[in-house]
Amino acid sequence: MFELRNVTKSYLTPKGRRYVFRDLSLALPPGKNIGLIGRNGAGKSTLMRLLGGADIPDSGTIVTDRSISWPVGLSGGFQGSMTGRENIKFVCRVYGATGEAMREKVRFVQDFADIGNWIDEPIKTYSSGMRSRVAFGLSMAFDFDYYLIDEVMSVGDAQFKSRCEEVFKEKLQRSNIIVVTHSMSEIKKLCDIVLFVNNGKIDIYEDVAEGIKAYKK
Amino acid sequence: MGAAWTLAEPICHLLVFTLLWSQIRNRTVADVEYPVFVLIALSPFLLYRNIALRLMDSLRENRSLFGYKQIKPLDTYVARMIVETCLSITVYAILVFLFAWFGYDMRVSNPLEWVAVLTLGLVFSFGLGMLLALITHAMPSLKSVIRLAFLPLFFISGVMIPASYLPQWLMPYLIYNPFLHLTELIRFEVVPYYQTVDGISARYVIEWATILVFVSLGGYRARRLHLISTKNG
Repeated sequence: MFELRNVTKSYLTPKGRRYVFRDLSLALPPGKNIGLIGRNGAGKSTLMRLLGGADIPDSGTIVTDRSISWPVGLSGGFQGSMTGRENIKFVCRVYGATGEAMREKVRFVQDFADIGNWIDEPIKTYSSGMRSRVAFGLSMAFDFDYYLIDEVMSVGDAQFKSRCEEVFKEKLQRSNIIVVTHSMSEIKKLCDIVLFVNNGKIDIYEDVAEGIKAYKK
Repeated sequence: MGAAWTLAEPICHLLVFTLLWSQIRNRTVADVEYPVFVLIALSPFLLYRNIALRLMDSLRENRSLFGYKQIKPLDTYVARMIVETCLSITVYAILVFLFAWFGYDMRVSNPLEWVAVLTLGLVFSFGLGMLLALITHAMPSLKSVIRLAFLPLFFISGVMIPASYLPQWLMPYLIYNPFLHLTELIRFEVVPYYQTVDGISARYVIEWATILVFVSLGGYRARRLHLISTKNG
């Protein structure tokens, strides 16, 4: 369950302050897979970062009683000058996986992301596809109640996508996901409810098809 | 580039000052060779300056790591201080080795007290850096002002000349500068029979350090949520 109470979030741009959300309140039902849709710049990723606690609202509170992964996105989360293996180990240590558990997670990510020897190259030399495969695999190596997935699946190749679906099938029996994506077929496949983010407002659609219709309008 | 500069910066300073100094004065100060005299205070001063200034950037540099909820801004401050300290110790060790190789006397007359003073300087600069980081987070435009303010600090902190050579009529004001106390105290522990100027005391720096650490930790506690927020870019 998530609850947002009077959340306001703004960013400082060179031309002044821009508000993404103003005094927003809503409650998300528990145990649902949530899809976030909306135009570019509508605030989907910001909302996801707020839900994951990676960013803090200017005012208001966000309450949840679940364990939530870090936002798995195309950018961030990695230190570019360190190798893939070092980054994975770093996250393992942050989440308390040491010794054999750490080695197992490194192996898992290496297999899942299918990067072979590249694991010992600096992250900044990776292509965006490789980076997102590592980011996604890394989050899947840990157990959370909610996974926050920000458009990482859309950059992968067909093989990666089928592997994602496989691991999702297993994970979604115990956990839920919150995805940001522009692919409506993915939304249809994965999500139970849809949040349409538009002009600082959020509409909840219990019926996925209806939400997609509102977005396409 | 960055790695080369950490080693080159103190060496450049040393070369320039030594050349200047040998033109205007004789080669020794307080019975030690001038380059040695400068090095023992220059390295710690550069370290303290780097800690104080680099903490201002550590939030921005590590923004992507705050995605992991366990990582707090304070962690990045501490990590930055550890990195800077290790770098500085390495550079200092290399330079001391080189100096000793060329026949300079690099002995420290009171090693334990020396380490204690250096550690005090670390605590002081950490408190200062954290306070500056908190201030510039609230007011980002102050960053360049603070950077500029550290330039004159280099000259009034007795890094390249003993404090007794600073203008006497300014001394009542200069003595308020805790960096001046630190450089003098460090030289006092390294150079045998070194005469510090009047008014230099470890107690003064300890008071500064205590107040700075207290205020900056208190300020951090109050602002800890704002620090993660991307509100200010």
